[in-house]
Amino acid sequence: MKHPGLAALYVLSLLAPLLAQAEGHCVSDALDQSVCLAEPARRVVSLSPGATELLFSAGAGDRVVAVSAWSDYPAEAAELPQVGDSNRLDLEAIVSLAPDLVVAWVDGNSRSQLERLSGLGIPVFWLAPRTFDDIAVAVSDLAFLTGSPELGAERAEVFRAEMATLNAQYADARPVKVFYQIWDQPLMTVNRNELISKAITLCGGVNVFGDLPRLVPRISREAVLEANPEAIITAGSSDNRQWLEAWREFSGLAAVAADNLFLEPPDLLARPTLRMADGARHLCQTLEQARANL
Amino acid sequence: MTRLTTEALIIDIPGRASGVPLNLAIEPGQVWGVLGPNGVGKTTLLHTLAGLREPRSGQLLLDGTPLRDMRRKIVSQRMGLVFQDRQDGFPATALETALIGRHPWLSPWQMESGEDLAIAERALEALDVIHLKDRLVNTLSGGERQRVAIATLMTQSPEIWLLDEPTNHLDLQHQTAVMKLLRQQAACDRAVFMCLHDLNLAARWCDQILLLYPDGQACWGPARDMLVTSALESLFGQRLLSAELDGFPVFVPG
Amino acid sequence: MPISSPHKPLLVLLLAGFLAALLSVSIGSTTIGFEDTLRVITGSGTELQQTLILELRLPRTLSAFATGGLLAVAGALMQVLLRNPLADPYVLGLSGGAAVGALLAMLAGAAGFLVSGSAFAGAMLATLLVFGLAHGSGSWTPSRLLLTGVVVAAGWGAVITLILAMTPASRLPGMLYWLMGDLSHAATPWPGLIILVLVCLMVFPLGRALNVLARGSLQAAALGVSVRPLEWSIYLMASLLTATAVTMAGSVGFVGLVVPHMLRLVLGNDQRLILPACALAGGTLLVLADTLARVVIAPEQLPVGVITALIGVPTFLYLLYRSR
Repeated sequence: MKHPGLAALYVLSLLAPLLAQAEGHCVSDALDQSVCLAEPARRVVSLSPGATELLFSAGAGDRVVAVSAWSDYPAEAAELPQVGDSNRLDLEAIVSLAPDLVVAWVDGNSRSQLERLSGLGIPVFWLAPRTFDDIAVAVSDLAFLTGSPELGAERAEVFRAEMATLNAQYADARPVKVFYQIWDQPLMTVNRNELISKAITLCGGVNVFGDLPRLVPRISREAVLEANPEAIITAGSSDNRQWLEAWREFSGLAAVAADNLFLEPPDLLARPTLRMADGARHLCQTLEQARANL
Repeated sequence: MTRLTTEALIIDIPGRASGVPLNLAIEPGQVWGVLGPNGVGKTTLLHTLAGLREPRSGQLLLDGTPLRDMRRKIVSQRMGLVFQDRQDGFPATALETALIGRHPWLSPWQMESGEDLAIAERALEALDVIHLKDRLVNTLSGGERQRVAIATLMTQSPEIWLLDEPTNHLDLQHQTAVMKLLRQQAACDRAVFMCLHDLNLAARWCDQILLLYPDGQACWGPARDMLVTSALESLFGQRLLSAELDGFPVFVPG
Repeated sequence: MPISSPHKPLLVLLLAGFLAALLSVSIGSTTIGFEDTLRVITGSGTELQQTLILELRLPRTLSAFATGGLLAVAGALMQVLLRNPLADPYVLGLSGGAAVGALLAMLAGAAGFLVSGSAFAGAMLATLLVFGLAHGSGSWTPSRLLLTGVVVAAGWGAVITLILAMTPASRLPGMLYWLMGDLSHAATPWPGLIILVLVCLMVFPLGRALNVLARGSLQAAALGVSVRPLEWSIYLMASLLTATAVTMAGSVGFVGLVVPHMLRLVLGNDQRLILPACALAGGTLLVLADTLARVVIAPEQLPVGVITALIGVPTFLYLLYRSR
């Protein structure tokens, strides 16, 4: 989302309690559609793991009646009935649950499939968090739609404050050139629009592939050698450790020379949710370590 | 000099009774003609004689050695076959086509020599297709292809020549030329054994005849004895008139 | 044809292959001048340049060459085996089997050697499956083998779709790149190059027998070829070549179809010339295609299979259009 839209959402979320009094519970979503509920939703279906996590963060965990596959956080979410993979949803199962709110994900769900749900009169709220603030807004919006606006506003505020603290802490830190590897074969990274890259920037790092046009570009090993990052970071389980070890072959790399090959804990940075704050804090500590090694 | 004999040979045509076992002796110098209506098994017989098909029973002997005990390469040095149908899936020139006849005579690592090339060119010349040697076979007419196929057999130069309808697609002049060539080969102590559908060609050029009947009956012997109007009428189920011209019998439908 | 010196076209192709390889190691997402490239090859140059050229580009160029050569030779053999100039190495379902093996390994979270090994096992399983099914009863013809292979290939296709449908989205890119054919997987070029050279040496003495076989199995038998053993050995050899190529680079399309076809138009159909020419021309083509894949949107990368298909489809249609 670009800044004007973001600003609009932000303003809307602040005004939301007032608007609700005036014309029912209305919130504008990521598709700029206004979603209005006569009263807070009690039966919510989440159509992506990220949406599930945000719903639980918004205090609506007990109102979620079904989730999409791979919704594994928090642990309670994994126990809920599933309505299919995010890009192959079981519409019949969703409809038969008689939800009063469906939370969809712009980057995962099929627009045409969900139009059938809207057509059946089921309100669909679309999420597409592209910035840290989008995450905060999403939590407060979801909390608002599910009847706990105060809790949502508070959690959003805590998240914003945490990010602001990190930003202040590392604003003047020595810049570190970072290559963030998200896949090995083929070799893939992220550009500046991806939240992971924003977290790197927040911690005073510089994403060496930030300027590439695609969100998740596929690159060559030689491009990495030429960019000569000072730290190479990936996330995941210990299996991914071997991705990092493979770089040791190239002793000329600054990251290898300084032993700056880092494995971040899995999941914290993978989804645009409140856990991003923990992920970002961990990443910032990692970059501090990288600075010390240089 | 090679002779091919069959001992109580019954060719295998699925779903048909075995009929009369064949005890043929195909001797050097002989020109055999096989006559019979369509579907009687002339091609199957030819393929069986060449060792390309297992007979239902009986066996084939090449100079007294059972054919199935011999290596294919040795067999193909002594016996060759012109097929009725040919596959031209890949483009090849007439010369290349004739040259594959040298295959049985070369070891795996050997390339074709100038001599092999000369043999192939002589064969193309003998069949009057030398002017087409660089043309792709699939661009030639049916008759030209037929002559290239016979030239391939000539390049192979086996002692026993098996031919399936060698005069197919040929005009009158080339029919005669091919038949003359086959007789010449026989005169050089080779044996020629061919299926024909033209009674008069058989009468004019063959000295031995094998008649195959649809019910599995067969009879064979010198042409004079076999080419009897009544026998041929029952063979083809067609009334025939015959006359003698220049010492050879001639048959026309009556 | 056999008599006119077969060495000349092979020398030309060898030179082309060498130039393509030189081009391929001298360009990439990082620009290294031609003189610098030569300097690195002769043993000097900066450390970064040496790493880029000797450790990254050269193995990949050799892998591309091996893969292209393997596929083109396998394609030429399959075409003779099936007596069909439109056959390709994958027509009997080999790549499908390899893909199922590789994707299952990826689905289980494996990487590197396990994926390659699993792909090779899948390709060999596919080979044996088609062998067994086509071998089953007595009558055996190229069309029966072709039909068996095509149906088995369709079966693999369904299994591939099933695996893709069951895979979490995060693992999909690796799988899709594998299916499109991608040289970034190639670990080492040597097994492929060695098998390519060995098979070319093994095939050479069979070359004339293959020429005869191309005229049909009866004609070949009448000329002294032991048709059945020859057919099975070229089937197994083509399968080994294809399995090796697929293991290195996934299913790179069109090289195995177009290269033998184009060479036949130019050089005739003597397998003793065509097979080594396929090894050289197929290798050269894939080296060029991979170079394009690496530089078109550098530093981002395209899978090489996309490039071969983009080049291969119009070339093939043109040849087809011209031939009728």
